[in-house]
Amino acid sequence: MSNRWIQSPRWFLGFWIAVGVCLLLYLANALFGQVRPGNTLGIAYGIMATVLFVAVFAFALRRRLMKFRPGRTWYYLQVHVYGGALFMLLVFMHTGFKMPQGILTWWLWMLSIWVVGSGLLGVVLQKWIPMLLNSGLSIEVHYDRIPELIADIRHRAESLATTCDYATREFYRKTLAPILATPKTRLIYYLDITGGIQARTEQFDYLRALLPEDEQEKLDDLQAMYKTKLEIDAHYTLQKALRWWLYLHVPVSLVLIVLLALHIFAVVYY
Amino acid sequence: MTRKSEKQGKKGFFSDVRLPVAKRYVYPSARAKMFIIGGVGAVVIAALFVVNITAQQGTLISNGPLSSNHAPFGDDCATCHTPFGDVSDGQCAVCHEKYGDEVGVHTFTSHYLYRTGDFSRDVPAPNEPACSGCHTEHVGREALITQVTDTQCLACHDYDSFNKHHPEFDFAAEAIPDAANLKFSHSHHVLEVKDREDVGDVEQTCLYCHNPDPDGKNFQAIDFDRHCDACHLTTSAATPWLAVGDASAETPGVLTLETIQAQQTPGTRWSYFINPGEFQQRGETVRKRPLYHEDPWLLENLKTLRRVLYPATSLADLLKASADVEPRDAKKLYEEALATLRDYNEALRAEPDQQVQDELENIEMLLKYVDQRLRDPYSPLDETRFAVSAASLDTSITAEQAEAYHQFIDELTEPCQECHYVENATILRAQADQEVFTRAEFDHRAHIIQRRCLDCHDAIPIRELTALDAAPDSTRDHAGIQNIPTIASCQTCHSDAEAANTCITCHLFHPDKSQRGNLLLYLE
Repeated sequence: MSNRWIQSPRWFLGFWIAVGVCLLLYLANALFGQVRPGNTLGIAYGIMATVLFVAVFAFALRRRLMKFRPGRTWYYLQVHVYGGALFMLLVFMHTGFKMPQGILTWWLWMLSIWVVGSGLLGVVLQKWIPMLLNSGLSIEVHYDRIPELIADIRHRAESLATTCDYATREFYRKTLAPILATPKTRLIYYLDITGGIQARTEQFDYLRALLPEDEQEKLDDLQAMYKTKLEIDAHYTLQKALRWWLYLHVPVSLVLIVLLALHIFAVVYY
Repeated sequence: MTRKSEKQGKKGFFSDVRLPVAKRYVYPSARAKMFIIGGVGAVVIAALFVVNITAQQGTLISNGPLSSNHAPFGDDCATCHTPFGDVSDGQCAVCHEKYGDEVGVHTFTSHYLYRTGDFSRDVPAPNEPACSGCHTEHVGREALITQVTDTQCLACHDYDSFNKHHPEFDFAAEAIPDAANLKFSHSHHVLEVKDREDVGDVEQTCLYCHNPDPDGKNFQAIDFDRHCDACHLTTSAATPWLAVGDASAETPGVLTLETIQAQQTPGTRWSYFINPGEFQQRGETVRKRPLYHEDPWLLENLKTLRRVLYPATSLADLLKASADVEPRDAKKLYEEALATLRDYNEALRAEPDQQVQDELENIEMLLKYVDQRLRDPYSPLDETRFAVSAASLDTSITAEQAEAYHQFIDELTEPCQECHYVENATILRAQADQEVFTRAEFDHRAHIIQRRCLDCHDAIPIRELTALDAAPDSTRDHAGIQNIPTIASCQTCHSDAEAANTCITCHLFHPDKSQRGNLLLYLE
């Protein structure tokens, strides 16, 4: 049953069973008892959420702090993803699916939603973007090499353009040079991975008809470089999302850890 | 070009434009910035909270605003919170137990007793929550923390809900008659009031006697002087002609005013202030006219006759009527007895004898001690100590003598027996307050807006009987009928779909609302 979206059906099933158990528990609690963060069950939800949060956080600790790393990263990742989602459910159960009224608790609640939401966004991006990149591009590039590769293309294109006649040189100067200058982000790649590359290269066909045969070969080389640059732009645009969603997730997670620690202190102290 | 040479030609390059492959492993760019941003944010927020906790009373870590009643404590957590401990009931008691007795007002003991005075009910439940367990704080300024949910009550009371498995009211479940101890017909009185006051509406006549409290919730106790006196015991009321006698005589008789004055027995000071013209003598008989409610001459003679029949009357002599009360009302008997003793004591103040005066001081101290004992909720009170038992009839009196005495007592109390019952030579006590719902609260005003009196109070068919305009039907209309609706009547409106049906709609957890007006206690 495993597919691109669900790596492990067993974990997926386990997660939904856990969700079901939690919701049944909550339903029984709401029907036969009281839903309050401070009563026995409310505190139990909070403790379970905290334990899960620590387990979820172990994924980050394992990569950065642990010299001896027990277990496979894959398991940590599964706990990180499914545990994170379950953590959010337990937070909702802890607060009775209501927005808390305290300043600290309100921020805890909102940041929990933010962190889990951004985490789930990351999961979606990491599943979806590689599929998108594989679907219509002819090359694969490493995100950190993109500036270097574009610079390489630009230098070669500039060199080639100096050997071309006036019309091709002007076409390069006015049309191609600005595009080859730097990596460019274009949101169209999220909707159409080719980003209209075919349509954008049609302008070469108009010029080609006016050029002699030897100039046409140079123009073909420029066209190939231009097309490659556009594909690299697609990589740049989409891979950037894979890198930058972490900025939505990680810093806020650090703040959440501090707020959670303060909340636990406040509950124990008072 | 062969396949091999083609492969060699592409080695080190990729894509159509032969971009160079990386010459070494490419490490992802450092993400330190991400952790720096998060770290700085976390440190700033932690510092903010640390400052708030140490210098600003920790208002930021509060779980929410306090209810408006407790809002003034919002800046000082320590008012209610103990570090590394719960919010203790003791902290609540600092303000909330300013009044009340040893039982307390907001304690579980007070809840278990629930106005019964029955300390056998004080059996602590294993799951008694703290105050804060029911009254949830930090849920907003507008929160009504006294509005406790049914869940809290159902933790101990297994009643499900008002509309499911709530027990029937005691008087209906146990068929307890109204302890009014009066000969009384509602329909007869309604017709009398209608005619006398020219009132067209049957229900309006109810209010001539059932006078609501200022808040309209309940009714004031029925009082002879206010509600009965206009028609009953008018100036023409008189005793029959009664034989004059004394307590030592074999045949019963009454003491004349002069005899009573001469005997100077305790509690007869009234005899010096009564008008002698109210007594008419004819041979060896006497009658009194007019006659008053709780007439002292009549009650004194009744007491004297009772002593002959029941020499061991004990404390019953200190009461004006019988000791026929619910055990929870025993205190009323003791208070009445104490007042009588104080009257006796007061009457002796005029005695010149120093020895008497010294004794009076001692007696006064004893009465104060008794008064203090009465205030002690843990001091058990036995109402039967006042009761005159038929079993205590003097064994030296023959059956014929007893019969003669009882007949004479019937004659003496004939005017009283128009409304009262007499048993064992005592007038049965009329229950004036009509307290039926001791464990529930009821607001008549809130109900009369939508219902009329007799829509609910239909155990006596007053509308039907008054429409007949006939003689009172004593089988369907007498004072022993509890003219109170049963739970089914309440459930017709109070349900999940209509009017409120929560526990606190009718019940209070803390039933003692007395002494709230004693503001001085709050200033101590």
